[in-house]
Amino acid sequence: MEEAELGNEIVEISMQVNGVSVVLRTPANRTLLSILREDLRLTGAKEGCGIGECGACTVLMNGKAVNACMVLAPKADGARITTIEGLGDEARLHPLQEAFVKHGAVQCGFCTPGMILSAKALLDENPNPTRLEIREGISGNLCRCTGYQQIVDAIEEVAARKQGEES
Amino acid sequence: MITNVVGKRIQRIGIQQKVTGKTKFAADLDIPGALTLRVYRSPVAHGIVRKIDTKKAEAIEGVVRIFTAKDIPGKNLYGIINRDQTVLADSKVRFIGDPIALIAAENEKSAEQALKALEIEIEELPAVFDPLEALKPDAPRIHEKGNLLFTRKIKRGDVEKGFSASDIILEETYETNMLEHAYIEPESGIAYREKEGRITILVTTQNPHADQAQLAAILGIGPENVRVIQTETGGGFGGKLDMSVQPFLALAAYYLDRPVRMTYSREESFQATAKRHPLKIRMKTGATREGKLMAVNAEIIADTGAYGSYGIAVATRAAVHATGPYEVPNVAIESKAVYTNNNWSGAMRGFGVPQIAVAHESQMDKLADSLGLDPISIRMANAFKVGSVTPTGQTLRASVGIRETLKKIRPYYEKFSREIQETQHPLPQGVKLGVGVASMWYGIGNTGHPNPSSAQVEIDETGKITLLTGAADIGQGSDTVLLQIAAEVLGVGTEEILLVRADTGLTTDAGATSASRQTYISGRAVYEAATKAKEALLKKAAEIFNAPSSLIVCDGGYFYPQYREYQKIPFGEVAKRAVQADGVIRGEGTFNPETSSLDPETGQGIPYTTYAFATQVSLVRVDSVTGQVSVIRAASAHDVGKAVNPSNVEGQIFSGVAMGIGMGLFEQFFPNKTKSFDTYLIPTALDVPEVTPIIVEDPEPTGPFGAKGVGEPALIPTAPAILNAIHQATGRWVNRLPADLETIRGLVPPEEK
Ligand code: FES
Ligand code: FES
Repeated sequence: MEEAELGNEIVEISMQVNGVSVVLRTPANRTLLSILREDLRLTGAKEGCGIGECGACTVLMNGKAVNACMVLAPKADGARITTIEGLGDEARLHPLQEAFVKHGAVQCGFCTPGMILSAKALLDENPNPTRLEIREGISGNLCRCTGYQQIVDAIEEVAARKQGEES
Repeated sequence: MITNVVGKRIQRIGIQQKVTGKTKFAADLDIPGALTLRVYRSPVAHGIVRKIDTKKAEAIEGVVRIFTAKDIPGKNLYGIINRDQTVLADSKVRFIGDPIALIAAENEKSAEQALKALEIEIEELPAVFDPLEALKPDAPRIHEKGNLLFTRKIKRGDVEKGFSASDIILEETYETNMLEHAYIEPESGIAYREKEGRITILVTTQNPHADQAQLAAILGIGPENVRVIQTETGGGFGGKLDMSVQPFLALAAYYLDRPVRMTYSREESFQATAKRHPLKIRMKTGATREGKLMAVNAEIIADTGAYGSYGIAVATRAAVHATGPYEVPNVAIESKAVYTNNNWSGAMRGFGVPQIAVAHESQMDKLADSLGLDPISIRMANAFKVGSVTPTGQTLRASVGIRETLKKIRPYYEKFSREIQETQHPLPQGVKLGVGVASMWYGIGNTGHPNPSSAQVEIDETGKITLLTGAADIGQGSDTVLLQIAAEVLGVGTEEILLVRADTGLTTDAGATSASRQTYISGRAVYEAATKAKEALLKKAAEIFNAPSSLIVCDGGYFYPQYREYQKIPFGEVAKRAVQADGVIRGEGTFNPETSSLDPETGQGIPYTTYAFATQVSLVRVDSVTGQVSVIRAASAHDVGKAVNPSNVEGQIFSGVAMGIGMGLFEQFFPNKTKSFDTYLIPTALDVPEVTPIIVEDPEPTGPFGAKGVGEPALIPTAPAILNAIHQATGRWVNRLPADLETIRGLVPPEEK
């Protein structure tokens, strides 16, 4: 029983979630994923395994893709968090969302939010990846439905478009 | 046939919500005040529950109630084909993970504590984990009627004569792996009792109407008192055909005046749900010098684990498809599904056909190798054509595209072979390249059983069109395809039709999303429903134009008499007038493809109306030092009858190749050991090559616009093509899946590395 209580002390954390300041008090052993899903009702990040193996819970923390199920509350203190809800909406899709739609890179859609955010982190760091680099960049995000090819196509198109803009 | 919507790359319905994170899966639903459910599962593989003491657990703060078998109001027995599974064990437990008690608590923590506080005594019984052992007379008896669940026999011609007429006979044994579906969404649902008393369950499922019937029986109430609504489903692959959280949710909602929710952890999802049947196969194949198949004799043993689930269907499908898509005059197959104390096996993408394809396609390549034929020629020499007779005595009448898939794959086979010749020399030590081919056939729909679907198209006085279907879209895209079919018939765009799907309170039974049947069977039901609705409108338009309805055109959202497009009247206007005169238009559609039951002794009959066909080629790199096999390129040609949505079809092909790579090279579930993606590796983007999808359309006359199915076929040729490529690279055959690192390292003797 005592073991279960460990890390249960209440901490206060403040974060920027999708551009909005959030301050909350929560047991220190809670994960960023459960805070996002349960307290903030941002259910775009999914729980596929809860132990850092599937990538369905991927969000951006200070611009880097992280598995939100592996981030404990205190670690998120002071962080900038972007979830899929903060990327774009139906009226104004982010180019990656648009490309996923165009290429049919979605089947069941359970992996999709995490996949798109990993793709964003990848392109922010490497705006001009090869197909292999794209595959590497999303290799922490499991998808059982699509076989990945249309996802790679979608990300590649956004990369090419970006490059076109720059040159 | 000219079509406007069918055959087009229409955007998937709901994709905008999916990319923006708005789509709600069951675990995303907000249901204030819901209790949490947890299940106590058997820690032993075989035993008798002697005592369940819930007192201490019930005393824990936050625990609301604990249920055991005695709380089940109706029948504590369910199962999709043969009912042999208990919701909560009434005496016996048959695998590690069998449910014994159900806890309803205010929160996760209380439920967790209650799990630990339950006092349960189980008298352990000897267990059996090998199906061959389980068939021995003195084996521990898992179910009362014995460990043999089912035998399927197929006999045609005279195999002994066939073998005597053969110049070459090959007899081999094959073993396939136990697999986990590994959809990324774990099982989840919520339930509550409506004011009028009906139990409503929102759940991730492939099978809403079957869930409803089974839950009603468990609760001992009429099906009208149970409503199952399919939530957005994060993949299924057959694993969400059997019930998972449904009976627990229903039972708790039945007793408690509170909403309840339950989501499996990944570990529980792995432990508690169906697996792919591992098969042991002995196959003897005889052929002439020219490579013409003369006889196939096979014995198949499928490990169905603790419960039947779809075991009977898997044993049957493996037998029916055992020859591959080839004419074989003499056939004798015996296929058994056997109980063991392993995790139960059920439906998984292909129902035994991906497993049996490993055998028949390895046999084909072994024959080709011995006879000096190339793999495409030997398949072409035997492939079905219109008029061919299958092992069950069925004459194939139409839509037999296997030869076309072989033709389409030949250039890729040659291209990959050239690539090997060009790159053979600079390879690192122990690394070799190989190219492999495999074909498949797959009967669409339930085997030798009726499998009807139904649908309705309603049009109201404003011209609003609603399509109602019970078909569960689990990510494969049936919503989109069914809307395309309705839109095509009605001459409108898909966005003009409202879809109501997979809710037993609103839609009628469309059958399960399984056996690659929704496009073909539900698609045809939708076609019929839309056609009837259209006929009602045509009648009205004929009146308006004072012309025979056969001369009225319905297209592009308008009605007009042939050659007088300038007179066109909008769809909505005709609908309004028709509804004003005769009331709401409701087109009812049903379809039940012709099948006949298979003779129990000879297996003769009509298992399916139509079959899908495919051929795949893979270029593979084998590192015999590390044991690593990578698929570098693949091309896969599928006869789908008609691609209603080519992007969806291609998506299925990519998906099938990826899943087949996992099956062929690394996936293997070990009962009670495999608990996470850490040990159950599924393909990542790095494990999957660039795939060229090739669509062949040999129309099926009974299908909607000629369509058949592709969901399962996409997977089937993948693993055998890889095995055949490994042989070409190394000169060694792999007869046992997966061809993992260890297998490959042991394959090539050190002096050849
Ligand atoms: S849920 Fe976080 S990695 Fe799987
Ligand atoms: S689309 Fe289903 S898991 Fe990726």
